Amino acid sequence: MSAAFETRSDALTASTGEARDFFALLKPRVMSLVVVTALTGMITAPGSVHPVLGLAALLAIAVGAGASGCLNMWYDADIDALMSRTAKRPIPSGRVLPSEALAFGLTLSVGSVLVLGLVANALSAAMLAFTIFFYAVVYSMWLKRWTPQNIVIGGAAGAFPPMIGEAVVTGDFGWHSLVLFAIIFLWTPPHFWALALVKSGDYARAGIPMMPNVAGPQATRRQIVLYSLLMAPVAVLPALMGFGGLIYLAVSVSTGLVMIGLSIQVWLRTEGPAATKACWSLFGFSIVYLFLLFAVLIAENAFGLMWALPKVLG
Amino acid sequence: MSEQPPKQVTPAPFSPEDMARRRRRSVALALVLGGLVIFFFVVTLVKTGPAILNRPL
Repeated sequence: MSAAFETRSDALTASTGEARDFFALLKPRVMSLVVVTALTGMITAPGSVHPVLGLAALLAIAVGAGASGCLNMWYDADIDALMSRTAKRPIPSGRVLPSEALAFGLTLSVGSVLVLGLVANALSAAMLAFTIFFYAVVYSMWLKRWTPQNIVIGGAAGAFPPMIGEAVVTGDFGWHSLVLFAIIFLWTPPHFWALALVKSGDYARAGIPMMPNVAGPQATRRQIVLYSLLMAPVAVLPALMGFGGLIYLAVSVSTGLVMIGLSIQVWLRTEGPAATKACWSLFGFSIVYLFLLFAVLIAENAFGLMWALPKVLG
Repeated sequence: MSEQPPKQVTPAPFSPEDMARRRRRSVALALVLGGLVIFFFVVTLVKTGPAILNRPL
């Protein structure tokens, strides 16, 4: 925080935040994941949409996701200031005022839902509105500070975008996007708890009941393995249902095995730098894993790279 | 006893660096608004299709 800001902040309620600070409020990395997963939902949906309208819908979904991230940062500014990972965010660092973030988040929320309704259809717009509500209110305001299952249930918010994507194309939900939902939903706990194990001191200081702080590190490690064992087979389903091809089958099986292997490493290595390294490895690879699965589905379906297996399911 | 007049709070002026930051923010906002105009124009053309020209004069 600059000295100029500190001396003036009481008398004048206007911040000097730059465009990049407001962009940071949208959680750009989460937004990029939402773009990839929503695009996958659109491309694997049975049907088609005009490319310009598809792009416009994707933009609205991305902005809606960003808006929910902004509302999350507005509500969580008090605890963000206490944690090393989040203390440099625009609100706790004083670059953006809470009232500005609230106005920005609400404006983008309403705007993105209206635009999606106009560009695509009412169902996808309603779904986007529900996703924003789920992340900003159900997860941020209620679950996060109340239960160690916060990121398990809250993970649904991050898993909705493929369903919104399918709704943009078909005006309905189908099995394809439900499977994509399940993959992201089951991926969230191993991904987040790997981070929570390393940052449990941060979460304890902020009073957030993350799983390692409530159930203990060992119980968390066991659950990471369980969720990975559940997630990896579910991630193969697109190949068995006919909307993922041979490349997807190979990638999902091999990377799924790596995810299980890294989870087991987290389970076995419980002390010292080796334990921390195992957690960071799982956390880092989990991001690559999800991006890779969805990128392969997009490539196969959009660029004619689909050498499909005989359809087993769906 | 007469009431004291409310204390006047004079906001401190922005520094030149603050003004430059606010200016960059305003330019970014103008670009976003311009982008939105183009966005709605293109989406309207696509949604309406060739029928956009088919209207009573």
